[in-house]
Amino acid sequence: METYIDSDAINDNLNNNIYLQALNSARSGIIITDNRQPDNPIIYCNKSFENMTGYSHNEVIGHNCRFLQAQDRSQPERQKIKDAIQNGTECKVEIRNYKKNGNLFWNELIISPVLDHNGNITHFIGVQNDITERKKYETELREEKASVDRKIKERTKELHDNEAFLSSIIQTVRESLLVLDAEYKVLSANTHFLNSFKVTSEDTIGKVLFELGNHQWDIDRLKDLLTKILPTNNPVIDFEVEHDFPYIGKKIMLVNAYRVEFEGQYKDRILIAIEDITDKKEIDRRKDDFLSIASHELKTPLTTIKGFVQLLERMIPENSSEKFVTTLGKVSVYVDRLNNLISELLDTSKIQSGNIEIHKEPFDIDKLIKDTVENLALATPEYKINIISNTKADILGDELQISQVINNLVSNAIKYSPGKDKIDVYCNRVGNFVKVSVKDYGMGISQQDQAKIFDRFFRARDIQKKFPGMGIGLYICHEIIAKHNGTLWVESEIGSGSTFNFTLPIMKR
Amino acid sequence: MICDDDPGILEVLEMILEIEGYTVYTESNSTNLIKEISQTLPDLLLMDLWMPVLSGDQLLRTIRGTKELEHLPVIILSASVDGNEIASNAGADGFIAKPFDMDEVSMKIQNVLSDIRQVN
Repeated sequence: METYIDSDAINDNLNNNIYLQALNSARSGIIITDNRQPDNPIIYCNKSFENMTGYSHNEVIGHNCRFLQAQDRSQPERQKIKDAIQNGTECKVEIRNYKKNGNLFWNELIISPVLDHNGNITHFIGVQNDITERKKYETELREEKASVDRKIKERTKELHDNEAFLSSIIQTVRESLLVLDAEYKVLSANTHFLNSFKVTSEDTIGKVLFELGNHQWDIDRLKDLLTKILPTNNPVIDFEVEHDFPYIGKKIMLVNAYRVEFEGQYKDRILIAIEDITDKKEIDRRKDDFLSIASHELKTPLTTIKGFVQLLERMIPENSSEKFVTTLGKVSVYVDRLNNLISELLDTSKIQSGNIEIHKEPFDIDKLIKDTVENLALATPEYKINIISNTKADILGDELQISQVINNLVSNAIKYSPGKDKIDVYCNRVGNFVKVSVKDYGMGISQQDQAKIFDRFFRARDIQKKFPGMGIGLYICHEIIAKHNGTLWVESEIGSGSTFNFTLPIMKR
Repeated sequence: MICDDDPGILEVLEMILEIEGYTVYTESNSTNLIKEISQTLPDLLLMDLWMPVLSGDQLLRTIRGTKELEHLPVIILSASVDGNEIASNAGADGFIAKPFDMDEVSMKIQNVLSDIRQVN
């Protein structure tokens, strides 16, 4: 804004009170300089100027304003001021000035020329504002902003690093991973997926899953999974899907699917992880087949041996020694033991494929326990096996299998109480069931192991070295009892011994 | 008649049953069985399941489908755990699991034969 005031008026009115009062009540510091005199001296300054600078009116009169710059004479603003004065133009600068006491203050200086009616610049008016506070805030703000910018840069880099890292994980993982949007369009597929299913990125990204490559993913079960199950918030884990793919053949896959529920840019996206278990299943099947065949083959000569041993037992000459007779008896026992072992192997594979068949017929549980235990007792005379079983109950079940269970439990009881000499076998009625308990006074089983002993191939850690075995027995027993609608469980304490219990429903007459 | 591809089994069963007083015929080749039983007309057939070429259950179905032989009492002997089910589905009169107990074999045979007699 250019102020052209009549300079004569200034002279006339300088002593005029009301104008003076106005000038003195202004918050800004105001000075007037006389350009007609050499070096543009100050001829007036107002009260605010005095307050602002600490100099009194009398101290500044006649001086050029540059004194305010003290020793700080190299500010670029000086040139601006100089030019403005030279050219008679208005200017506004922010300049460092110093109070009388030496304190720095930032001065927002606005200089306006005053012209006479001839166009000559006679005076300059300088309006000054202490903007120190403002400057401080500006600096702080700038620093704040710089700090924030730095932080943003750091965070952005972190994010990029995270993304890159995540990406590497996804690409390295040995499972196929897909990300779909809410409309089942593929957003990304990892390298494993592309390699396993022999597709390219271009063919896959952006296409609806079910329409990929000749509809090879148009699998009903999978569709149901994604369109029906997933939206209901049920977790989808280990979902088995079998499909005959056009180029890679028949595959069995385990699928995990997850729908992103949390708010944000990833909401409603679907994550799919696919594990190819075709080979695993094939190996399992072959293993089962092998076990089946092996045990069947082994049982054949065993049958013959058993038959001949039994014949021998019938043909014992009259005058044979006691030793001869018992020795022959022992052969028989061990033949049976071998048979049990082979049965365990065979039964494992059948159970695994869910094929264990129970042939149910009524049998007397007291008698079965007595027979089974007596048979075992023959081979282990050092143990006294007490039997208390007077339930007079008939069970509808597979006598052979229940016998196998009792056999297994009693053998274990003997095996895991070395140095002890008794085992107790009880059988009682409990409601509509019979409960059979086999109690030993041996080493017992830790709490930790108790939870796992019925697992397929579990052996309590320290047992493995002392009593090598396959650990199949209890697993099979558990399955057998379960198929008979009973339960099998253990109560045990380290050092005191274990009691294995199982229940069987009593046959209704 | 006993039919099993394993000669050891045939031998031991033959001995066991002859002691019991039965007249025993044996056949190790499953493809010859039908011909043999048509000729010898045994009172009872003891047969294995797992045999090469023709299996026990296949033969059993053939027997049950042949007019002259359909009422022949047949007991299946097998080492398979699900042998029992296979046997009864194919029409067997009894099942013995291998390895068997001598007494069990003789008892089962007696039971089957006496059932037949009762029916007759």
